[in-house]
Amino acid sequence: MAPDSLSLDRILNDITTTTNLASLNHTLKNGLPKESRETILSSPLASNQDPLTILDMRQNTLGVLYIMSARLNTTNAPVPPNLVTNFCHNFLPEQARLAPERVTMLAKGIMRLASQHNNISWAVDPLQNLLARYPPDRSYLTTIHPIFLQTCLMANQPTAALPVLRHPIANISTALSDLTYNDNLIYHYLGGMALAVLKRWAEAEEYFEICVTAPGAVPAALQFEALKKLRLVQLISRGAVSPLPKYAHGSLSRLLKNSVYTDLINAYPQNTERLHMLLDKEKQAFSSDRNLGLVLQVIDRAPRWTLKKLTATYVTLGLGDIARVVGISSEDEVRALILSMIETGDISAQISASGTVTFSDPPPQFTKEEVDTVLYDAQRQSDVLEALELETARSKEFINKAVKSQDGGSWAANTEEEMYSLSAWDNDSMFG
Amino acid sequence: MDVDIPEETAQSSTQYRDSRRPTLVIVDDQHPFDLDGYIANYTGRTAIDRLIHIISTCPTLAPEAFQLAVQHIHLSRDPSLYQQVMSAYDHVSGASEAPLPSGNDLPSIDTKWADEMMAKNQAERSKLEVELKTYSNNMIKESIRMGHRDLGDFYRSVGEYPTALKHYTKSREFCTTSQHVLEMCLSVLELLIEQRNYSHLPTYVFKADAALEAASAAASNAKEGDAATAPAAAPLLNKRKAVSEDRERVQSKLDFATALSSLASGNYQKAAHSFLKLGPAKDLGDWMTRLVAPGDIAVYGVLCALASLKRSALKTEILENSTFGVYIEQEPYVRELVEAYLSSNFKTVLELLNRYSSRHSLDIYLASHVVELTNMIRNWAVVLYFQPFASIKLDRMSGAFGWTVEEVEEQVVNLIQSGSIHGRVDSQNKILYAKQTDYRAELFARAIKAGRDIQSTNRKVLLRMRLQQADLTIKAPKGYAASSIADLMQGD
Repeated sequence: MAPDSLSLDRILNDITTTTNLASLNHTLKNGLPKESRETILSSPLASNQDPLTILDMRQNTLGVLYIMSARLNTTNAPVPPNLVTNFCHNFLPEQARLAPERVTMLAKGIMRLASQHNNISWAVDPLQNLLARYPPDRSYLTTIHPIFLQTCLMANQPTAALPVLRHPIANISTALSDLTYNDNLIYHYLGGMALAVLKRWAEAEEYFEICVTAPGAVPAALQFEALKKLRLVQLISRGAVSPLPKYAHGSLSRLLKNSVYTDLINAYPQNTERLHMLLDKEKQAFSSDRNLGLVLQVIDRAPRWTLKKLTATYVTLGLGDIARVVGISSEDEVRALILSMIETGDISAQISASGTVTFSDPPPQFTKEEVDTVLYDAQRQSDVLEALELETARSKEFINKAVKSQDGGSWAANTEEEMYSLSAWDNDSMFG
Repeated sequence: MDVDIPEETAQSSTQYRDSRRPTLVIVDDQHPFDLDGYIANYTGRTAIDRLIHIISTCPTLAPEAFQLAVQHIHLSRDPSLYQQVMSAYDHVSGASEAPLPSGNDLPSIDTKWADEMMAKNQAERSKLEVELKTYSNNMIKESIRMGHRDLGDFYRSVGEYPTALKHYTKSREFCTTSQHVLEMCLSVLELLIEQRNYSHLPTYVFKADAALEAASAAASNAKEGDAATAPAAAPLLNKRKAVSEDRERVQSKLDFATALSSLASGNYQKAAHSFLKLGPAKDLGDWMTRLVAPGDIAVYGVLCALASLKRSALKTEILENSTFGVYIEQEPYVRELVEAYLSSNFKTVLELLNRYSSRHSLDIYLASHVVELTNMIRNWAVVLYFQPFASIKLDRMSGAFGWTVEEVEEQVVNLIQSGSIHGRVDSQNKILYAKQTDYRAELFARAIKAGRDIQSTNRKVLLRMRLQQADLTIKAPKGYAASSIADLMQGD
């Protein structure tokens, strides 16, 4: 048995009496021997009481955090689920932020607990609370984010993730949370998946794009998967792909070029025959990538894009002609398709009794409010950028670099190189 | 240098010929073609090459062309050409429906002549090779160069292009003046054109340009040609005093080579400009009959120009260009074509194009581009025709172009979809409407979209910046070099 100074009773005493949280954190983190720390924290009290029931979830946030996270990650000291939920509702974020790595442990532990009980959906609520209360505001990325999203997806509750996904990540602070680049990748990848499941294509596209364009010296495998999904989502929502931003890693698009997805993109949407052939042939590949569902949706929507193209070319067209061009055999199906597209606002058209479709394109209308919001957003954006610019201009790094580059002119080297290449050629051609 | 070219070129030129074979050209009263008159414009190898092309694409003319080819082969030094002619003929008689006289009934080659020629060739080759060897042993640069050049010329005349090219390029190592380089470049260019291997033309044109520059600079410095180089430069540039004249002459050849390579690569606008600025026919010297006829230049130039240039440019560059006018005189129908086009008489334009389509597709340089050029001209014509209208009945257009209404609709729809015409078709009433754009609304829509795009891009870029500041960038796992990761990913 551990000596008295290291027993949980002693620690509990520290937790309840101390007023200096920073030193308590230090004690808990470094005061205990490394190898036995988790065992001590998860051991019961001498009186055989559960320490978690004694401590106040709010006042003693830090202590509870340590004990609970330790116990969630061992097998011999179960934590009652209601205590976890209670803690997530009531903890003090300021205290919890002193020990970010324990928060990560806690989040992982919650997920483990849920899977031990075969009830993943239980974890959604505590994690959501934890996630909502821990960071200073929603724009910060934390290690809880990817865990939470994974839980939502595993629990088949993508809607639960929406409140979180609605706030785009804009701030990264490694002091707030012990992040790795994978947390960022996984969060945005899973976010894209959740949004794709909910058919919120535009947002899903954005999340996948952030994952694909994450900075790095080498591409991650997850980024490639995200790129595949990004392309599919783009095909579904717009019927065509748009180029990746310049800062995306070059080898990602090269990798994609050699995959079946490029064939799919090239054949889309006109070449229905090829699309179906591709689907038959590559079904295995698509489903092993877990993209079969998306691919099927992509192919289902192909006639829409062909039809939409027609509206730019024709004023009127018979249903039969449309059916021929779009590649659908029955006129009724075409009629249903057109109706659904008119309903969703993809096209504006009228179908006459004789089966003639008249397309029109009413000019886009904007209400005064919309314009105002746009202007307001733009102003806010420019404020943000201005503040950021000032901040950058003040920063030591920037000033160092700016001073350095003023000293040596870089143009001289370039021109010299040019001249050299020219003269080299001349010599060669004359007397080679 | 380009020593690796030969194999590659030999391959590509044969493939090229094979791929083109299936399209057969019809020559009849509607599509006249005067074989004798046409082939009389050419001498030497190109005449035979052209005849082979005609044999393989046009069954109606094949027997006649066959006879002519055999005649021409007797004037050349390459009996093996007969095999090519024969195989082209066999191929086409297999492909055509109407029976053709069998190859045995046609005049065959004089075997005695062939044997003699082979022996003569063999003798000459040994002679030249021995000479070259002697020169090489004596280490006389100038003689070695001439030895290579002569061998190059020899191999070219017997049709061994790769070896010829090898000797020409080899001779470059022994060039002492830019005149020599220029001479070498021109020989290679001529060889490449004859071989219809266009991809390397620009390289040599570029080299020749630089050599020309240097040569004329050298010449103007030393007015009197220095004794050492004058005889060597004799065949192509014998008079060194008339520097500028020489220059223009070479320049014309280079322009022609550039024009052909642009044509071959499908860059019709550039080709048109190059053809239209060619100097008078005499500047092209012996190329004029050995490679091309003046009439050809008129046809190439005008077709490329019609397909790619604006009306104003057509007027200044063709009709008001007296040098090019001389070429046009050779093919009067070309002038009609331009005039009909400029007066917006598109029906005549299309009729003329159709009437002379056989003339165009029987030309070795133009054949593979005829369809595309014709399409481009037709598309331009439709675009130009529709420009002034806000709406027009399709049957009126069909009258103006001489097509059926369905054809017009198909054309117009293609053009709308490719973005050349801003309009929409009323398929039920057969009317084409010009597109009415509400520019104000469009501006609003674009501005708002741009605003939103910029905001979302900003957000993403800023996040990226934050990630970089926090050093959360993707790093290769320990123990893996970046390349092996790429391999790994390639694998799955």
